[in-house]
Amino acid sequence: MTAVAQAPAPVKPADPERSPAARRRRRVPYLLLFPGLAWLLIFFVAPMIYQASTSVQTGSLEKGFKVTWHFATYTDALTEYYPHFLRSVLYAGSATALCLLIGYPLAYTIAFRAGRWRNVLLVLVIAPFFTSFLIRTLAWKTILSDGGPVVSGLDTLGLLDLTSSIGLTEGHRVLATPLAVVCGLTYNFLPFMILPLYTSLERIDPRLHEASGDLYAKPLTTFRKVTFPLSMPGVVAGTLLTFIPATGDYINAELLGTTNQKMVGNVIQSQFLRVLDYPTAAALSFILMAVILVMVTLYIRKAGTEELV
Amino acid sequence: MNASSGGEVRLTGISKTYGSFTAVHPLDLTVPQGSFFALLGASGCGKTTTLRMIAGLERPTSGTVLLGDKEVTGLPPYKRPVNTVFQNYALFPHLDIYENVAFGLRRRGVKSVKKQVDEMLELVQLGGFARRKPQQLSGGQQQRVAVARALINHPQVLLLDEPLGALDLKLRRQMQLELKRIQTEVGITFVHVTHDQEEAMTMADTVAVMNAGRVEQLGAPADLYENPASTFVANFLGQSNLIEAEITGKSGGDLLLKVGDGRLALPAERCSARSTEVGTRVLAGVRPEKITLAHADDTDAIDDGRNRMNGTIVDSSFIGVSTQYVVSTPACPELAVFEQNVERDHRLIPGAPVVLHWNPAHTFGLDAGQDIEAGTADLEADQ
Amino acid sequence: MPVVNWIRRHLVVIAGALALAYLILPNVVVMVFSFNNPTGRFNYEWQAFSTDAWTNPCGVADMCDSLSLSLQIAVYATVGATVLGAMIAFALARYRFRGKGATNMLIFLPMAMPEVVMAASLGTLFLNMRIPFGFWTILIAHIMFCLSFVVTAVKARVMSMDPRLEQAAQDLYATPAQTFFRVTLPLAAPGIASGALLAFALSFDDFIITNFNAGSTVTFPMFVWGSAQRGTPVQINVIGTAMFVVAVLCVLVGQVLGSKRKARA
Repeated sequence: MTAVAQAPAPVKPADPERSPAARRRRRVPYLLLFPGLAWLLIFFVAPMIYQASTSVQTGSLEKGFKVTWHFATYTDALTEYYPHFLRSVLYAGSATALCLLIGYPLAYTIAFRAGRWRNVLLVLVIAPFFTSFLIRTLAWKTILSDGGPVVSGLDTLGLLDLTSSIGLTEGHRVLATPLAVVCGLTYNFLPFMILPLYTSLERIDPRLHEASGDLYAKPLTTFRKVTFPLSMPGVVAGTLLTFIPATGDYINAELLGTTNQKMVGNVIQSQFLRVLDYPTAAALSFILMAVILVMVTLYIRKAGTEELV
Repeated sequence: MNASSGGEVRLTGISKTYGSFTAVHPLDLTVPQGSFFALLGASGCGKTTTLRMIAGLERPTSGTVLLGDKEVTGLPPYKRPVNTVFQNYALFPHLDIYENVAFGLRRRGVKSVKKQVDEMLELVQLGGFARRKPQQLSGGQQQRVAVARALINHPQVLLLDEPLGALDLKLRRQMQLELKRIQTEVGITFVHVTHDQEEAMTMADTVAVMNAGRVEQLGAPADLYENPASTFVANFLGQSNLIEAEITGKSGGDLLLKVGDGRLALPAERCSARSTEVGTRVLAGVRPEKITLAHADDTDAIDDGRNRMNGTIVDSSFIGVSTQYVVSTPACPELAVFEQNVERDHRLIPGAPVVLHWNPAHTFGLDAGQDIEAGTADLEADQ
Repeated sequence: MPVVNWIRRHLVVIAGALALAYLILPNVVVMVFSFNNPTGRFNYEWQAFSTDAWTNPCGVADMCDSLSLSLQIAVYATVGATVLGAMIAFALARYRFRGKGATNMLIFLPMAMPEVVMAASLGTLFLNMRIPFGFWTILIAHIMFCLSFVVTAVKARVMSMDPRLEQAAQDLYATPAQTFFRVTLPLAAPGIASGALLAFALSFDDFIITNFNAGSTVTFPMFVWGSAQRGTPVQINVIGTAMFVVAVLCVLVGQVLGSKRKARA
């Protein structure tokens, strides 16, 4: 039995790719994209290009700025402010490491040990966000105040002597020291570490833990060989989400530190808003971007997860 | 219910390519009005793409689609008088069962839908479930909602894309009969896509076996099963023993074949090889259940006119209604034989010398120039 | 040693609890100090219990104005970013077009860039275009940096939606417009809602970008920033605590309603 058709009447060959309907359909995505992308192009990309040109301009606010290809702004900015860059990377790096160290047990607890409290705990992790982060950062001034319970507790345990000896704190105070700034950074960006960690941990089938135990792995070995590798996407996402904004932050250094703890963000802010030296602010921004780009690229190479970008 | 004209589906020269990959080669196909038509094949064979081109969800690269005498090739899905039962049903999770079923009527501006929806829910035996949400229903119930949601629109053609794939075996058998009942009741043309050959044969009047974007063979289930035209169909539809042979002569309506050192007869009209000249190599095929197994000691009791081969039992597995044997013969190392468990011969155990014999009329011949393994189980398993 | 054993078995949970305490502690301090009666200009040391700030929350000059300005900007920015972002998300999730990779990159960049860099560059642009800083520059900036987050949230949702649902709608005689409003939009609603909530929270609480683009306009975070230099009124803590309590209550009510609905199902 065959069922080959005898086509009735003349059937004109369809050319669906060129019909008006198809052309309209092909236009739809561009129409959807246009307003949003235009917004980003005008208010994100264009400013970046503009800033690139500003960074090689000279002049003053009164006389106006001109592009003079004055690359010395970059070298000047670097020589004058390299301690701030160093501090930014150092503080942000320490805060990121601390976030991972503090955040992992909490994410793990919520993912595997919380049972029916899981949602409540998740709400508690997000809840602090609901109070303006500036107010919460100011609260650390109270918590870390001189002679307060936290500081005197640390002092009694002799921990402050230890941190003083490596330059993290000064004398018997925590406030207005590097430790306070790192503590504030860690606090502010901790949820950005916990949430991606939780997401990737939650995806792990608990039976994998049982299988690992069944195959003679001790709990710690199970963690090293099974849980942690599987949570790598969360670790990478979390560290990036913490490190990048922390490097550019100037709020914690301003509120919890002194001039000796100022980071690049502080310099950019004061050059832009107080000194009104826009070329230097622009050059510093670009150097900061470059520093972050290099560190993030190195890190992603090392962590081996490139699917993020 | 609605069985008006126009239920015939006619595809002419229809094809679909994605970049350099050809999903469906130019294809002519006519599905007669009111029939239950199955497109059968392994995953990736182009059967679903063909179905989606009928539905309008995929635009053909070339060719035309006709419903009745109306060309619909350029029409979007919402302007075609066909409806689809989707794989995994695609029930709207934000609407209840009633609104899911009423969806098509409402979109076409029907004002009072209650009577029709209630009737349709009765037809699929879900009268009491109107206000449930899809995720509160079992798989079988969801499947019936999907059928009701499509049928209520009185489509000229109902398209079913692996509608039973997500159900367990027992429920699947039950729903096969149920769908068949509904089809008989409403008389609409059904085009059913499946990778399950048993399902296709149980339900459809006509089955088109597809492979690598082409229709390999088309016909009634029994016809396909008895007279496969290619090794793919022979292996994919049920199981076949294919034995390499050479034509040595003719006798009456039969071709005489040399197989190893034995001889077989094959009815000439059942040979689809390109040439039947003496000396041509062909594949002689026979279904495992057509073969009778006799212990070598009983050779004398076998009728003269039957095809016979000598061999040794390699393996036997008891599966209840029958016992399946694997027999090694000089011409073919692994022949499958299914014996009904009526009177079991206890001498038939692995290692026993046996004679296989069958009615020559049950032999079919295939062209030797094709892959003898085409369509065997490993292709089927990846669905 | 049963105690030591217990500690060893629950080491992770104990560490997790400590981390949670670290997260919550500042909120507790903010709450407690909203009842303080400080002697100086700064509210950092506990003096005496008082409900003065709670009975007179707008008692500080300009604070409530800045709060209402922040709410206003957050609402507008949310609407703008959600509409623009959802459109991009639909295009990315449901269409194939040229330049998709570049679009994805453009969406990703603002999220991967330190805020201070974006803030300074946008500020430079406004400055040079001689566009006066104020309400509109803040709004433009907020829509810009919220956009990417909305796109990400909505896109994730739309990508996880079975495309067969939209095909089923078309198969059931819904025109493209009907398909969008009857099926796509209701199904994408949770993603759009979470994108909008995120945008609102980001805009309301933003400081850095606003700092560079506000001129002399004062939003609530700007007010808090200024008060850290001039003196912190207790009312700041009242606002912080009130927002916290209201938001937690909303979440809890949502959870209870959600679980009730599940129980009924």
